[in-house]
Amino acid sequence: MNALQRVAVIVGYEWRRALAKKWLFALVILAVAIQVLIFVVFNFLFTNPPPGMPPALLEGLEQTKPFMWIVEVLTPQGFFMSLIVIMIAGGSMSEEYEHGTSDILLSKPITKLEYMTGKYLGGLSLLSFVAALTTILGVILAIIFFSPQESLQFLPHVYLAIVYSNLVFLSLAFMFSEVLRRTTLSYFSAIGVFIASLVISGVLSAVNSFTGEQLYLDVSKWLPNWGASNFPSFVMGKLVDVPSNPFISPAQGDSDLLLAGVFVAVYTVIFIVVATIKLVRSDVTKKTA
Amino acid sequence: MNALSSQSVITVSNLTKFYGDFKALDSVSLAVEKGWVYGYLGPNGAGKTTTIRTMLGLLKPDQGEVQITGINPTKDPVQALQSLGYAPELPTLQTFFTGEQLLDFMGKIFGLATQARKERIKQLLDLVGLKEWGDKRIGNYSKGMVQRLSIALALINDPVVLIMDEPTIGMDPEATAHFRNLFTTLSKQGKTVFISSHLLDEVQRICTHVGMINKGRMVFDGRIAQVLETFTQQWVIEAELEEVTKTMVSSLKKLDCVEDVKVDGNKLRIELKEKKDLRGEISSEIFKRKGVLLSLNLHKITLEDAYLRALKGGQ
Repeated sequence: MNALQRVAVIVGYEWRRALAKKWLFALVILAVAIQVLIFVVFNFLFTNPPPGMPPALLEGLEQTKPFMWIVEVLTPQGFFMSLIVIMIAGGSMSEEYEHGTSDILLSKPITKLEYMTGKYLGGLSLLSFVAALTTILGVILAIIFFSPQESLQFLPHVYLAIVYSNLVFLSLAFMFSEVLRRTTLSYFSAIGVFIASLVISGVLSAVNSFTGEQLYLDVSKWLPNWGASNFPSFVMGKLVDVPSNPFISPAQGDSDLLLAGVFVAVYTVIFIVVATIKLVRSDVTKKTA
Repeated sequence: MNALSSQSVITVSNLTKFYGDFKALDSVSLAVEKGWVYGYLGPNGAGKTTTIRTMLGLLKPDQGEVQITGINPTKDPVQALQSLGYAPELPTLQTFFTGEQLLDFMGKIFGLATQARKERIKQLLDLVGLKEWGDKRIGNYSKGMVQRLSIALALINDPVVLIMDEPTIGMDPEATAHFRNLFTTLSKQGKTVFISSHLLDEVQRICTHVGMINKGRMVFDGRIAQVLETFTQQWVIEAELEEVTKTMVSSLKKLDCVEDVKVDGNKLRIELKEKKDLRGEISSEIFKRKGVLLSLNLHKITLEDAYLRALKGGQ
């Protein structure tokens, strides 16, 4: 049996482990429910626009209609997808230590690196599956309720962009799971970083709008959530020519798109390297649960 | 002590392991050859599990080296662990699997083909008495059943070396006897079995060799017969009296051949320095002190006595 086959066995194991968790299903169902809710709201707005609605909003709404699939696909991105990947990866390594199952797995003919790669790729494939689920659902709902839809040829691009951008929090949670080796602590730490990033970027954005100082926005780009949240919409902004309106972000410049892509890569690599060093250099800790 | 041999299936050389400032293992060396059933004894916290986890490459030694079938598991776990089976102490298994699924998963890691896995799983579930439970989730198993499944998991690859950490804890007497027989049978098939145990009776029954560890140091390593011979140099006389007095105990202690006298209520345990039947001297000493003797027996010490003595000597 070669290394790739051993990694594949661990990927399959990781799927079984994750699918045994009911809360993961609950979170995915919640993300899907939010998508459906967005449709209901937009459908209501399209069919029964409120009498006092400003003309600019009405016009924006009309312009958005052929691109509703983008709104739908990107809605769970940024918040729900980040939470889902944290829940997937946050216990990936630590639960095995806590339950003592890491002893059983790592006393088999498999290297620590193969084990970790299988675990990480298992999480990544789960993320890809959940992203595919929400993307396909969003597109189907958009086609059914708001046909015709435009620029659907970019669907694979947005899907890949979503998966790529979520590597940041997947890797962050995975790193905490290995470094802290306590599942609850790992979840809280990863969610803490995520929430803190959201709050800080919100504050910096507010300060920017008051002062007009670009520096605050530039600083917020260094936060882990900036690339993770914005990369897919930057990609779509680049690919799809959507008129500027309140419902879809205007196209971003090439520099922001590149920067978001680089930050996702840099954060991901850093988190994976830290997790790898910790795993390779440390003993396999005994069960604590 | 055993000399480290080139025939050894398990070789542990000068193994030292620290947990922070605490020295858990202090230059531990042992060698286990093909076909041996090696009992690894020691009190709680002595370093038994640390030795085993280092042997499996789960812990990195601060000094020294482990070789399983000539391969260092820290450097090449894939080769070293390919022919090894391990059952941990009080295992927690993946509860979301059924017994069959977990065995199948472990079989895949060992690279067993689908048909070979199917046959092996059926055979093992039968062997460990879980035939009816193979398709049930492990979350529904009792502790004893988890222990049995853990042994089946250790055997999935038909290992050359079997390492068991307290394998019969949590099992009923029938299962305990069954697995003791199994370990003996496996050793007769040429497999090497390494068992860490608190159960001295179990070790005495099934092991060919024994290693004793205390406070991280090996205090004995040799054949079972050798350990009994070594530590039964001393005989013990047990006396039961109507009443035991301090003067009686101190006068017995003063006898030339007496090493120690232990008092337990109205019973005396008199440990002798050499193989000599001192019952005459003992009884006359007791009569001199006006003691009323109810019984007086001479017996050699058991493995338990030998073990306790070895630990005392190692301190």
